[in-house]
Amino acid sequence: MTPLFALLFDSLDERLKLRHPSRKVANKVFPHNWSFLLGEVALFSLVVLVATGVFLTMFYRPSTAPVVYHGSLELYDGTTLPGAFESILRLSHDVPGGLLFRRIHRAASHLFIAASVLHMLRILFTGAFRRPREVNYLLGLGLITLAFVAGFTGYSLPYDSLAGTGIRIAYSELLSFPVVGDRVAFWVFGGDFPTGDVIPRFFVFHVMIVPALIIGAVSVHLLLVGRQRHTQFPTHGVDGHAFIVGKPLWPAQFAESATLILWIGGLLTASAVFVPWSDISLLGPYVPGEVGNNAQPDWFMFWIDGALRIFPPLEFSVLGLMTVSGPFVAGIVLPGMVFTGLALYPFLERKVYGLRGEWHVLTNPLDIPLRAAVSLGTFSFVLLLSAAATSDILSRLSGISIEDVIWIFRVACLLGPPVLAAGIYRYSTKRLRSRGLVVATDEQQATSQAGGHGAVPAAVTPPARDPSPVSGGE
Amino acid sequence: MSADGDPKAELRVIARTDPPRSKLNDSIVVLSAGAAALLGVVFAVSLLAGGPMVLYGGALAGGLLLLAVAVRRYFTDRFPDIEAVEPREIPSPDDTDKPLSDVAPLGPRRSLLKRALIAAGGVFGLSLLAPVTSLGPAPGRTFTTTAWARGVRLVTTDGDPVRPGDVAAGGIATIWPEGAIGQERSSVLLLRLSVEPVPPTVLEWVIADFLVAYSKVCTHAGCPVALYRQQDNALFCPCHQSTFNAVAGAVPTFGPAARPLPQLPLGLDEEGYLVALSDFVEPVGPALPRA
Ligand code: FES
Repeated sequence: MTPLFALLFDSLDERLKLRHPSRKVANKVFPHNWSFLLGEVALFSLVVLVATGVFLTMFYRPSTAPVVYHGSLELYDGTTLPGAFESILRLSHDVPGGLLFRRIHRAASHLFIAASVLHMLRILFTGAFRRPREVNYLLGLGLITLAFVAGFTGYSLPYDSLAGTGIRIAYSELLSFPVVGDRVAFWVFGGDFPTGDVIPRFFVFHVMIVPALIIGAVSVHLLLVGRQRHTQFPTHGVDGHAFIVGKPLWPAQFAESATLILWIGGLLTASAVFVPWSDISLLGPYVPGEVGNNAQPDWFMFWIDGALRIFPPLEFSVLGLMTVSGPFVAGIVLPGMVFTGLALYPFLERKVYGLRGEWHVLTNPLDIPLRAAVSLGTFSFVLLLSAAATSDILSRLSGISIEDVIWIFRVACLLGPPVLAAGIYRYSTKRLRSRGLVVATDEQQATSQAGGHGAVPAAVTPPARDPSPVSGGE
Repeated sequence: MSADGDPKAELRVIARTDPPRSKLNDSIVVLSAGAAALLGVVFAVSLLAGGPMVLYGGALAGGLLLLAVAVRRYFTDRFPDIEAVEPREIPSPDDTDKPLSDVAPLGPRRSLLKRALIAAGGVFGLSLLAPVTSLGPAPGRTFTTTAWARGVRLVTTDGDPVRPGDVAAGGIATIWPEGAIGQERSSVLLLRLSVEPVPPTVLEWVIADFLVAYSKVCTHAGCPVALYRQQDNALFCPCHQSTFNAVAGAVPTFGPAARPLPQLPLGLDEEGYLVALSDFVEPVGPALPRA
């Protein structure tokens, strides 16, 4: 410690009693594996998003009222544009650094969502969601939902031609709620689209409500990790159920996180210099009644767009009281089912296999056939739906008629995931049997079974009071 | 309390590797940190001087990446690599069946009071949701009517009224009710078909044998039905590829839309301009939540 820092710390410590807690935190042990970084990547993208977002908020004007743009972008100089669109043109072309920060913000949003989804898949595949971590898993699913909302509202704010189409479809989705849809749509949009308050509303969602919820939920998410500690992969000669093996927060984990956030900042900035992330001057402003030929949402909404595309025409009235329509089933019920399924899975797995006790050591998904089947089935379903969102492009590229492409996707989405799930279920069941194993019902059993394939010898259980957790295997 | 008294605060090292002393590494740290600082200055100066984005953006990116290198090298070269172990927290058993607080309410019949408080809180909380309904006006007839009415002229996006001769054969135009340009729900496609329309097109609403108008709002999820494929007289929605047969009442022939695009009753006024005879007979756009 430098003398100045030591002096500062000592005087604070006298008042706040910091030495003991900071020592405890600095000595916390973090298990090491590259996949544990995914959550950190998401966290640091969020930091970049907040930092750049604050800058953008200074310039953005949440309004659809027409204004005349006067600025250095000749293409639009002197034209009348929606206020929101005009303010982003000005930010991008007339504010020094504006374009850079806007592009970094956009790139960071992609990274944030992608890293969050991959992090969630890691948790799902390896079983990090098992007791006692179910609450944090559910919180994580909520965070991904919030990330989607943040992404969608951010995509909408420029009020360019793609944004307008996206908002229009979102409006129809709200409208599709049986019985209450028109009210709900009006509550969210403040009136009819496009004359309502949609842009001011989305602005409030995007810069206040959703970020506040995300930051709050992320804080609880991290507090829970701190309290419950990390899971870890099976480690040679260590009883991972009772002990964490890894590197201390200071200096190793700190060094890694500091390096990571600098890397992320650097790479996002570099990408912003070279990639024109969502160049709205090419898209043009939203004009009511018009739509571009390539009406496509952001990639993370592809699966919902794909579901809307391939879902067969459906509209029926229930008892003359309410209408159930295709957009409701494909755009609301189906995604709702996927998320509900993911949320319920930890409890299902525990019930089906009669699991007992707490679990801290990660498992290969192939050791738990149900998990392998459910995660592969869900993942392939979402992936196929996402691919269906490119049906028009695929049809154009391949020369297959759009009708045939849609039919191919209908069949693939219906049959593909169940077949894959059944296949991997059978494969992993056989794999277990061929090794003479069963699905372990508690962690001790799992650890001793793992010794069966050589990588991890049987756990060493240390004496209760004076633990010497490491076997003399080295 | 002494920090050393708490065994959980102690680091239990199981393996330790000290990096070799290396002058080279020290110079890498100094050089990369110095270069990062320099690039930081380049970023600031070129931004202030109105330099190109490639310059200040590149400097910022480069500075951050070099800083990452400096930090990484500093820590790997100057600290021992430590592998440590820590017991997972085991809940101390003596606390488990104690109440959450040592202060309990007095006297009998407390469950009734408790229930009353909880119920009152719940009812009150639900009542506080009422302002949600203020967030938007009541939809009223918004979704069942449009700006079209008897005698309302068809105008282009520029506001010009339209005569039957203005649309060429195989032509298509986006049309609004006069006075409601840009009101999306009222947008209309005016088509001059190349073959004579057949039912379910309402033939009385067809002008000059070939001129027909349909709502432009897709009955699937409300996108503008923007494309017209002349060879098979199909109207095509670019959002989810719903296809409608423009010759036969704009009934959906493929894709997710379940209802035809409503047809606008067309007529002519005394000056020979196209007008609506009434509002749409069926609701336009996506399905409504109540039948
Ligand atoms: S909105 Fe037209 S097909 Fe979905």
